[in-house]
Amino acid sequence: MLTSKTFLRKTKKGNILKIVREHYLREDIWCGSKVCSECCAKTDDQVLDENPTIACTKHNYGHYLVLDTNVVLDQIDVLEEDVLKNVIILQTVIDEVKHRSSTIYKRLKDVIGDGRRKFYVFVNEHHQDTYIEREQGESINDRNDRAIRTAALWYQKHLKAFPTQKDKRKGIKVILLTDDRKNREEAIKSGLIASSVEDYVEQLTDAKGIGDKLSKRNFTSDISEKDATYPSHLTPAQIHDGIKNGQLIQGSFQASRENYLEGQVNTEKFEKPILVQGRAGLNRAIDGDTVAVELLPEAEWTAPSDIVLQDDETADPEELNEKENLIKEVKVVEKRPTGKIVGIVRRKWRQYCGILQANPMVGSVRNIFVPADRKIPKIRIETRQYELLVSQRIIVAIDSWPRTSRYPLGHFVRALGKIGDKETENEVLLLEHDVPHSKFSDLVLSFLPKMPWIITPEDLKQRVDLRGIDICSVDPPGCTDIDDALHCRPLENGNYEVGVHIADVSHFIRPGTALDNEAASRATTVYLVDKRIDMVPELLSSNLCSLRGNEERFAFSCVWEITKDAKIIHTKFHKSVICSKAAMTYEEAQNIIDDKSQNHSIAVSLRGLNSLAKILKRRRIENGALVLASPEIRFQVDSETHDPIDVEAKKMRETNSMVEEFMLLANISVAEKILQEFPECALLRRHPVPPLPNFDPLIKAGRNQGFEIDVSSGKALADSLDRAHKSDNPYFNTMLRILATRCMMQAVYFASGMLQQEEFFHYGLAAPIYTHFTSPIRRYADIIVHRLLAACIGADKTYGDLLNKQKTQECCHNLNYRNRMAQYAGRASVALHTHLFFRNKIQDEEGYVLFVRKNALQILIPKYGLEGTLYLVPATGQPTANFVYNEEDQSQRCGNIVFHAFDPVTVQLSLDRSNVQHEKLVLKMVKPFIKDFSVPSVQANTGDAVASDDKMDLDVPQTLPEVETPSKRKESETETAQSKKSKKKKKSKN
Amino acid sequence: MASVLLNDAEKTFILHGVEVDLRCDGRRRGDYRPMELETDVVSTASGSARLRLANTDILVGVKTEIDVPYPENPEEGKLEFFVDCSANATPAFEGRGGEDLANEISSRLSRAYQSLPLAPLCIVPKQACWKLYVDILILECGGNFYDAISLAVKAALFNTRVPQVTGSFLDGGSVDLEVSDDPFQCWRLDITKAPVLVTLSKIGDNCVVDPTAEEETCSVASIVVAVLDSGSLTAVIKIGEGSVHEQTLIETIKTAQKIGVELNSSLMTALNQEESLGPKRQRFGFLK
Amino acid sequence: MDLISDQGLRVDGRRAGELRRIRCKLGVYDQPDGSAYLEQGHTKVLAAVYGPHQIRGSRTKALQDSVVINCQYSMATFSTGERKKRPRGDRRSTEMTMLLKQAVSAVIKAELYPRSQIDVFLEVLQADGGNYCACVNAATLALIDAGIPLREYVVACTASLANGKVPLVDISHLEETMGGPNLTVAALPLSGQIAVMEMSQRFHIDHLEEVTQLALQGCRDIYKILDKAVKEHLLETGDFFPQLESN
Repeated sequence: MLTSKTFLRKTKKGNILKIVREHYLREDIWCGSKVCSECCAKTDDQVLDENPTIACTKHNYGHYLVLDTNVVLDQIDVLEEDVLKNVIILQTVIDEVKHRSSTIYKRLKDVIGDGRRKFYVFVNEHHQDTYIEREQGESINDRNDRAIRTAALWYQKHLKAFPTQKDKRKGIKVILLTDDRKNREEAIKSGLIASSVEDYVEQLTDAKGIGDKLSKRNFTSDISEKDATYPSHLTPAQIHDGIKNGQLIQGSFQASRENYLEGQVNTEKFEKPILVQGRAGLNRAIDGDTVAVELLPEAEWTAPSDIVLQDDETADPEELNEKENLIKEVKVVEKRPTGKIVGIVRRKWRQYCGILQANPMVGSVRNIFVPADRKIPKIRIETRQYELLVSQRIIVAIDSWPRTSRYPLGHFVRALGKIGDKETENEVLLLEHDVPHSKFSDLVLSFLPKMPWIITPEDLKQRVDLRGIDICSVDPPGCTDIDDALHCRPLENGNYEVGVHIADVSHFIRPGTALDNEAASRATTVYLVDKRIDMVPELLSSNLCSLRGNEERFAFSCVWEITKDAKIIHTKFHKSVICSKAAMTYEEAQNIIDDKSQNHSIAVSLRGLNSLAKILKRRRIENGALVLASPEIRFQVDSETHDPIDVEAKKMRETNSMVEEFMLLANISVAEKILQEFPECALLRRHPVPPLPNFDPLIKAGRNQGFEIDVSSGKALADSLDRAHKSDNPYFNTMLRILATRCMMQAVYFASGMLQQEEFFHYGLAAPIYTHFTSPIRRYADIIVHRLLAACIGADKTYGDLLNKQKTQECCHNLNYRNRMAQYAGRASVALHTHLFFRNKIQDEEGYVLFVRKNALQILIPKYGLEGTLYLVPATGQPTANFVYNEEDQSQRCGNIVFHAFDPVTVQLSLDRSNVQHEKLVLKMVKPFIKDFSVPSVQANTGDAVASDDKMDLDVPQTLPEVETPSKRKESETETAQSKKSKKKKKSKN
Repeated sequence: MASVLLNDAEKTFILHGVEVDLRCDGRRRGDYRPMELETDVVSTASGSARLRLANTDILVGVKTEIDVPYPENPEEGKLEFFVDCSANATPAFEGRGGEDLANEISSRLSRAYQSLPLAPLCIVPKQACWKLYVDILILECGGNFYDAISLAVKAALFNTRVPQVTGSFLDGGSVDLEVSDDPFQCWRLDITKAPVLVTLSKIGDNCVVDPTAEEETCSVASIVVAVLDSGSLTAVIKIGEGSVHEQTLIETIKTAQKIGVELNSSLMTALNQEESLGPKRQRFGFLK
Repeated sequence: MDLISDQGLRVDGRRAGELRRIRCKLGVYDQPDGSAYLEQGHTKVLAAVYGPHQIRGSRTKALQDSVVINCQYSMATFSTGERKKRPRGDRRSTEMTMLLKQAVSAVIKAELYPRSQIDVFLEVLQADGGNYCACVNAATLALIDAGIPLREYVVACTASLANGKVPLVDISHLEETMGGPNLTVAALPLSGQIAVMEMSQRFHIDHLEEVTQLALQGCRDIYKILDKAVKEHLLETGDFFPQLESN
């Protein structure tokens, strides 16, 4: 049966078109119930139970549920509860959900995909009996509601024909769940059973706590202006018009981590973000939301406050006002476009990890939830399980934020585990950074090679046999995923043959398989201090792909002929079989090189590599590659408890740099090759030149110390950094490099067809073109690059998506996102372990002032790679030393003691555990001594470490070191990758 | 136009037939051939009609587009006729073969249709209006294009649904148009001021209505008169090489006026009858 | 929007291998020697065939050993969503004309009419994807209606690939614009010969075979529908010769 759908659409040019589409109605859409003998569905498609049972006091008969769209959109957390089974999801609902919220759509699909849940999708829109046409004067929502009722009625009638054994005559019933009263009334009028979600759920006897998960959306009632904490938002139409005529600006809101009453809106219109301040200015925007801002007149523009402000206590209006006043003081110099948020275009609410705030009222259901992420406001929830949940890390979702409520309203989703438990904390960390970390599914595992794995003669035929060559690998200690190995041998003509051999992961991971999709989604292996979340299952990462010593492995080899002065004569790529003669650590390799008595082939090979690497490095630096710095530390972890027992700074050996140089060389060679063959769809990596204003803090800091930092080019920057040394402060140069690192942009993957050739440039490496080829075990980008390279040399076939630049670009977006998140997660893990380390410890440490702020000093402690804020002005008026801030030369003065950036200090570190969620490292000034401010050194201290006001807040550090975990090589490709604020040297393993 | 080849004997036969008021197909001089009309046959158009007058086959589609009013008529919409002579009708129309005929017909239609009020098509004066494209496709030639086309055009305009659009001024002076998401929110044109054309062909000393292609080759001159429901005339056009006496012309116009009023009323009867079948009526299109 | 849902239905409710509704009629007009109307979903076309007749215009075009096949593809200005400015003469129409000629030339027994001409004219009344296919299929019917000897039917069909893996047949306009490569095949369904093949964008070679297979299957399915229409038409008009049946 055929019908058509007509609608009007406005084109981009402003024309209005009539569009008519065919719409086929079918007879072969089945009801999906096991009791039905009429529909000819395959048994696989008969999802709904023959005897649906659910313990329900009111509806104590067999029934299926039909949901309306808003139930899915609002109550997805309830739907995710296993207790709800035998649910019919109509296509009308799916389409609407998809249109309204992609995240909820995805969650709904996951629920449908879970076979145990028995959710059946009924394509009512194409069923000949349930399709309805929109009637004259009917709104689209009313039409959809009617379609839902029509389908529910159809089910009711259809199922009546099949009496179940239990209810002899009646058959299975259908209950329509809807929170829309009008829809419910209409449904009951037409003879359906209908209920609101809340009513239904409360009757369930087996579902304790499910009531907590109900979304609290329907709070809005008439409110007087007096009760309202916030100004009202504009209507969508007003926002639309305002944006169109330029009165309002649309952008994404980014909350400040340091100050809960401040944030900024990044827009396309202005280069600089628009500042928003104060409760009314922020007007209920939550980090990530797309908002509409109204720009204030220029006279009211202000600057971001230098103050660190946290929403510490429960509401205290006076204190609030005080705080708001505090941020009103303006420095004229740094004025920025300032605005106020007048409406929300799109919410980007997600689920948040956090804890319940202690509630003195026993038995109260109303509670406050404190998210772990500082950028997210506290959330008001209702729960009857306070006693149980107060000691747990929990997840909460936001439902709404009415004007009258200081905090948004939300509901409890699930508990993660006990606070302070390392497993729980890791889970929080992974969730907060959106790191997929569930076990690999059976489907994914089914694509692994069957063990025992053997190399067949067929395999050998397609590969170059390099088993006879003395290849070795050099990695950090404890590394199990070895993805590169090297060799070097002199040729008769006096040149060297150098080979880089990379694990042939793409041989095992075939495109389009579940294994491939999973790896593509994970994008990278995530390294936490005590844990590694693999991108590919362990069998591959630590065994079949890992180029272990004295085992035959498949590799993808890049072999050069190189002259003694490191000029490449010739490059070739081929798949190979290798057998590494030794898997060494950096230290072992270094010892072999240094030990002149050793002259076996491996030693010769290493020395050859080392000498070439030095030339390569020198040449690279001459070209303007940057040597940047970030404090690097490594935890000594207790082998049993996995608690950190000591921290040490990382040592750099020649061999680190040796491996790195050849990995860089291989990556560049491969990048050139794949770009030549696939000019449109090569996956490359670029590092954009930072915009000049980014360098301002660096130039300023340099100038205060009498150094001119030239940032006109990468080379100029590198040279001026080299010149900036201070004899009295050996750490000065390193700190300057740390600052320089923070000025950098994020390096990103991209598809070559999406940009112009000039934009391919890699600033950090000063390379015109670059990619990632050398770590396919832990980076998905490398797998794609392997496939491209294999296609170039005819070793493998291409496939559709590989040659589609749009698909490649989509893939790049995900890789960039996951990489960034993995990096943040890694840092957060270090922070977590730093806290574990400082539990019950008080230590004095050498530190340096990194920045001078209005009310604080930013201090870097090289030994731990820590950075934190040291408050000079305490929140409450205790007797304290009087500091004077000089904005000109960025200094703080107290009496005759002056603090400048880069000044050395001694500080005392301890942990403040008073706030379970945000444990803080507390810092007290030891040297120089200031009366009423400094504390005696730790030996003399009696131990009241926690009560200090000058806290050093460390929980979300921006410059935490990248940690070397046993499994991950510390790499030092000078490629810089950093978060928006903190720029930090990324070491990629090449 | 497609020329029908006739020899002298054939022409004389036709001439003599007209003289005695018995035409080759058995009609009298004032008779039309049977017509078939169906509206709403093209779903991509806002209004459409197909008219078959014996062998003459006309398909009309009305498309609506947003445009800016002419500066001289800032409060009116626009109307444009476009005629396409399909090669399906005759190989002579292939390529640009039918263009001359097409231009002739479309320019005369525009003149005859000057009576149609265009003010309702204005959305925002000076800024936005509807432009109606009346696209006429000639699919088979069986004579008497003007009458057939005018009937089909009027039927298509009757069938046309113009979306309900509200215009509002934005601050920058530009106009923002909003369409309702309800496809039912449309309005229809008032076609009482849309004329039908009546062709009277002079064959010998007499005039016939609705000439066949063969009769057209025997005719030296034709008078086309555009007539409204009310009997008002909006245009009189003389086509053909021959000349017509003043007295003949005036009589012819009178006859045409009478026929035109009848034609208008039977057209409206047919259209209303079709409409009374409701939107779910069966559509035949070209399958009948 | 997905081209195919998890439930295996396309946007318009069809399954991957299902054609749109095809309705057709032979002999819609008297004046041409052969004519046909065909609709495939919302795509509607009229075909007219004139000839064989003597060469029109310049005699120099005449071929000594075969017939001149002359085609024209034209689209009504109201046939598309956004109004077309010109019914023909643009590049796309010219290209279509050429491809049409290629398809019908593959089946017309040209050697039977030396120094003559056959005109095949196509008018698209409504365009909703697969315009070319509908034209080829209508042309076949019109040629049959004109009684021009054909080797066999020439039938065209499109196919595409949804979500990079599921081949789809008979692509609608919406599916065309939603992306994915689009393959058009005009084939001789009985002998399995391919007369015309065109791709809207690059196809990965891995998918080409299955997509082509599906397009050919589509051609065979359409052939059955056309053949049935032809037989019914012959029964109706009384020109039915039993020996045709055995062919």
